[in-house]
Amino acid sequence: MSALQSDLQKVFRRVFDDDDLTISDSTSADDIDGWDSMAHINLIIAIENQFKIKFSAGEIATLARRGQTVGNMMEMLAAKTGLRA
Amino acid sequence: MQTGADVVERYLATSGMDADICSELLGWLKARLAAGHADQIADLFPRLVIPGLDYTTANSLHRTLKRIRSLHESSGRSTKIAVLGSSTTHQLVEMIDLYLQAGRINAHFYEADYGTLYQEFLDPGSGLHRFHPDLVLILVSWRDLKERPAMGDGAEEVRRKVQAEVSGWSDLWRIAQERLGAQVIQSNFAAPPWRVMGNFDSRHPAGFSRFISLVNTALAETAPSEVTLHDVDQLSAASGRWEWGDERFYHQAKLPCPPEYLADYAHSLASLMLAHLGAGRKCLVLDLDNTLWGGVIGDDGLGGIRLGQGEPEGEAFVAFQRYVKALGERGVILAVCSKNTDAVAREVFEKHTEMVLRMEHIACFMANWDDKATNLARIAEQLNIGLNSLVFFDDNPAERSIVRRLRPEVAVPEVPSDPAYYIRALDRQRYFEALTISAEDLKRTEFYRADSQRQALGSSANELDAFLQSLEMVARVEPVDATTLERTVQLIGRSNQFNLTTRRYSNADIRKFMQDPNWLTRTVTLRDRFGDNGLIGVLLTRTESDALVIDTWLMSCRVLKRGVERLLLNSIVEQANHRGLKRIVGEFIPTPKNGLVRDHYQSLGFTQIDEDSGETTRWQLLVDGWKPLPHFIRES
Repeated sequence: MSALQSDLQKVFRRVFDDDDLTISDSTSADDIDGWDSMAHINLIIAIENQFKIKFSAGEIATLARRGQTVGNMMEMLAAKTGLRA
Repeated sequence: MQTGADVVERYLATSGMDADICSELLGWLKARLAAGHADQIADLFPRLVIPGLDYTTANSLHRTLKRIRSLHESSGRSTKIAVLGSSTTHQLVEMIDLYLQAGRINAHFYEADYGTLYQEFLDPGSGLHRFHPDLVLILVSWRDLKERPAMGDGAEEVRRKVQAEVSGWSDLWRIAQERLGAQVIQSNFAAPPWRVMGNFDSRHPAGFSRFISLVNTALAETAPSEVTLHDVDQLSAASGRWEWGDERFYHQAKLPCPPEYLADYAHSLASLMLAHLGAGRKCLVLDLDNTLWGGVIGDDGLGGIRLGQGEPEGEAFVAFQRYVKALGERGVILAVCSKNTDAVAREVFEKHTEMVLRMEHIACFMANWDDKATNLARIAEQLNIGLNSLVFFDDNPAERSIVRRLRPEVAVPEVPSDPAYYIRALDRQRYFEALTISAEDLKRTEFYRADSQRQALGSSANELDAFLQSLEMVARVEPVDATTLERTVQLIGRSNQFNLTTRRYSNADIRKFMQDPNWLTRTVTLRDRFGDNGLIGVLLTRTESDALVIDTWLMSCRVLKRGVERLLLNSIVEQANHRGLKRIVGEFIPTPKNGLVRDHYQSLGFTQIDEDSGETTRWQLLVDGWKPLPHFIRES
């Protein structure tokens, strides 16, 4: 697991209050209990704080779209941070 | 072994700012709840709700709260709150729910659907009417303004629009009052950060930021006392308008402000509601050493503690004392709780010239060697208030920790190591929200009115005397002593402008002058109705045959043209008389910086006696037949 993915998993665990939660490229909102539109905002803010980046209004909307995966999220993060996905 | 108390203390001692410590706390809470200790956690929980939480932690805490509620029958007071706004209020409401827990209030909420504010009020069959709220929260943003100034509008038209805007809101207040029997908390309007006319926006009749500021003022002036205003404009300004106005999450989810600021927004609203419910704090209990001044009075003595103008740390302590004094004037009870010998601690309040707080401001003075938990209970008892009315402010982390453990009802904010941040640390806790105007508040209003009068008076030269008189200045002229030595040396080392000779002397030099009967040392402190200016002048003279020679005369430029120089001259002429001296001799040594006082002696009635080498000038004043100069300063 890349450093980015491991940090991202830490964020997911905090946001969804589940210490055993694991994420993979294919994880999507359908796989995680409570990943609704409110949790999405919580997640975005926690990721921004963790990686010291900002998502644009368009990116926030894109990530909220049905079918988006953790893999898509990591690609976006890799591009913003220069870290390996 | 790690105990729960350690986990809680670590979290409180880091103000909830450390993500790992927060996770540790949340994990511990979860484990305790799972182990069947819901009662214990329910009792502890309100103390964990502190201001300044980040969004993620606040959300996790709210989740914990929901879990506690599912396991434990809540015992606190309850209240019904309706929230109406044009934005998505759900996240904010959860945070308000959380922060009301800090006051052990269980709130039941009704949230109107997004953007249905008017329908809810006007339709008697609406959910709002059926809910029978105790409190109605009207949350608005500038997007809700029905009236907007247009570029062509004149001042009169804009005034009409402001009135129309405000009367629209007062209609809703009336409905809340008459048909719902509910109290209203009305938010004002936060101005957006952008200004299409730049700085001119604040002047042009159609300026949008000007319009918002007029509406806010009109709301404040129009709202009856049953309607409480929430100053979201100030909240936005304090957060930074561009930050608060970050619109990504408005566009995405119609949030009233960026998520990171929701906790602060909710804390601000909840503090106001707690004041409504009588669950606010009443009394500020202060430590002394390193809290009201720098250093330890028992070790350092009156002259050794750091307090007063001229030294950054000393000034920070003075600033904090001013803030505290102002809290006292608006009705917060002030008390002292210090590990000190009573007489030693009192002496600072009675004798130190730079103290802003005096014994008369302190309702209960508790200086002894008993533990602070015991003393806090005594203070509450003496003042006849509950421990849950107290806020304890102490720079010492060990004292904070012991009080948190033994007196959990007392609010104990973290205190930063830099005294420059004391005001911030206390103010951001929002302990002392007020809803009504008391006699104390009136006093404060008077103060501001006088301040504006001072400026008005000072603007006209022929009213100068009246102006000086209105300042109600009180000065103290006295020899340099242990409490003023440091500040005196500092001024001598630093003053350049109002300084006749610019001679620099060390601490040891001044001590020598203090002992030498040929020398006279004088300091002057000045207080006026607007506050204490502290030690603002130093005068050193020596006797030479029949003359009193002014070796050093310097003053702070802050008190220019107030008549202090006349007062000082009167005082030394009296001394010269007393010593049988015939003349006062002054010198002016020009430097690139002291042109301000070139005519100092002339204006005081001295005559020039020589002009050697075109540089230094010497001046004299004959004591015989001289009359004291008039001024408007009372001596204490």
